[in-house]
Amino acid sequence: MFFEQITGNLIQGLVLGSVYGMATMGLSLIFGVLKIVNVGHGAFIMVGAFITLWLFNTLGLSPILAIPAAFAVGMLLGLLFYYTTMRRLIKAPELASLLATFSIGILLEEVIKLIFGSEFRGYNWAVGKLNLGVTVLPMSKLYACIGSAIIALLLYIWFNKTRAGTAMRSVVEDSEGARVCGVNVDGTYAMSFAIGIGLTVVSGVLLTMFIPVGINPYMGGGYTLKAFVIAVLGGLASPYGAFFGGLVFGLIENGSYMLFALIPGVEPFALTRFLSFVILLIILLIRPTGLLSTK
Amino acid sequence: MKTISKYYPLLPVLAVYFIMFLVGKNVSGMWQLVAMLLFYCALGQAFNIFLGMTGYVDFGYVAFMGVGTYGMAVTITQLAHVEGLGFLVITIGFLMALLFSTLLSLAVGAVALRLKGAYFAIATIGVNEGLRFFIEGARIWNGSEGLIFMAELNQILGRKTASALATFWADIMVLFIAMSAAYVTLLFMRSKIGYALTALREDEEAAKVMGINVTKYKIIAFITSACFAGLLGAASWALKTPYVFPPEVFEIHYTIEAIIIVLLGGAGTLLGPVIGGLIYGLSKYYLSIYMPGFQLLIFAPIIIVIIVIFPEGIIGMLKNRFKDTSLARFII
Repeated sequence: MFFEQITGNLIQGLVLGSVYGMATMGLSLIFGVLKIVNVGHGAFIMVGAFITLWLFNTLGLSPILAIPAAFAVGMLLGLLFYYTTMRRLIKAPELASLLATFSIGILLEEVIKLIFGSEFRGYNWAVGKLNLGVTVLPMSKLYACIGSAIIALLLYIWFNKTRAGTAMRSVVEDSEGARVCGVNVDGTYAMSFAIGIGLTVVSGVLLTMFIPVGINPYMGGGYTLKAFVIAVLGGLASPYGAFFGGLVFGLIENGSYMLFALIPGVEPFALTRFLSFVILLIILLIRPTGLLSTK
Repeated sequence: MKTISKYYPLLPVLAVYFIMFLVGKNVSGMWQLVAMLLFYCALGQAFNIFLGMTGYVDFGYVAFMGVGTYGMAVTITQLAHVEGLGFLVITIGFLMALLFSTLLSLAVGAVALRLKGAYFAIATIGVNEGLRFFIEGARIWNGSEGLIFMAELNQILGRKTASALATFWADIMVLFIAMSAAYVTLLFMRSKIGYALTALREDEEAAKVMGINVTKYKIIAFITSACFAGLLGAASWALKTPYVFPPEVFEIHYTIEAIIIVLLGGAGTLLGPVIGGLIYGLSKYYLSIYMPGFQLLIFAPIIIVIIVIFPEGIIGMLKNRFKDTSLARFII
């Protein structure tokens, strides 16, 4: 019985973690290439959630079809914000880019609030459940997990096998050197920012497949914090590190929720969120380059 | 003569506050607006001591106001049954607010101030959320139900005094907090602390090489800024609205407002947060009448434009404009 509970929790944690990992890859990609921390990260996740909600509730489209739509919207938003704002701030002090991404996040929240209102929403995508014996997994969660893994794999292939991906890695290594070798650094920055935002908006779709309720313009804040914890776990600048950081974090979150629920007189959900903040501080204190980094 | 001229830059700040006070006192129905403006000016001025002088963004700033509010609230609820303390309770409340915000800033600073730039921002962004969920999760100070101490406040001070405190004297305290924050800012600017902070804001590595103990000065600015936030929380939130709920006092919205105010007026200037607070407060007030709910939709693009096009803010621009004129000594 105890063993079953543990295995069930591990599976749930890994499934959750893969989506968390996916939700952090965009943040790490942008930091890796542009050295900019996207403080408005959660707002882009929220945009993805609203795209899913809108497509599902008004057009009746499956959330799986929302993935390409979300990626396209994300790329467009990324290019828009890159060329209007971020491009001028790459060389500016960190203060400027932090506050700019923060303000972009607020802007998105307010625009979505203007369009959809601020009440909590949700949708009901009934695709059945999968009984694994030790635990029951809704199919929507399984799809979200598989989707995350596929997207992570595609990003890996794109990074390592294509010319644009190689250019991006060269900019991460040394942007001046890349420029000397004829890499279009500005174009690569734009591309990375757009793809990073695209991935983040897609992760909003996957997260709603996981938790299809509580969709609200201000839902992003909690995800921003979690994404930071995960990104720091994975070394902040590496998208794959972020993916594995996500798996670790999913396990921690699921396990700690189970443990906190055993303590009488506390609210386990709130304590789990407090724990993620404590983990963040501890990692920053002992190993700011990330637990999974090799350097 | 030299010592007096040192304080010239305080004159415009004090003049603005004096005018606000007179308008609020003499024009009927204006006090509430003036009180709100004073709050925003004080918030800007307290936040500016850290953000403006060091160039570091603390995204969890509201947490200091939150613990300050709790300091006052806990004192009032605990000491309510002790007879004959009267205003002493309020004084102890402010001391507790100072204590709480100092302790929190030491704890956060010990971790976050070792980190630079982006990592610092990441470390602070969860402080308010983390603390909120700690209080709710571990059911400290009544957890998510919060503390309501209207009755206790009435019991300590009497109904009449308590209501005068909430509608007038608490705002006067906010005014004093704003003025002392301005004074401390000037004091820092004109001392070794200010020069060290300027050096570290421009180039931290170079400042270190020059033998400046950057961590020490960052901590000084961080704690000072946090203490003013704690006092502000105690005066403006706990005393004006005698209840405290975790989601309300750890709401990131106030950090956003502080950032807007400081950037609008000009980060690192003395007069900037006052002007920023006035502009933000007035527009918020009138927008909430004519276009309720649109303040942030309007201010978010404005902030982006400020960052991209004129990062020095309004007072920063005026400062450059009036360089080498007789007005220059008043505008810093």
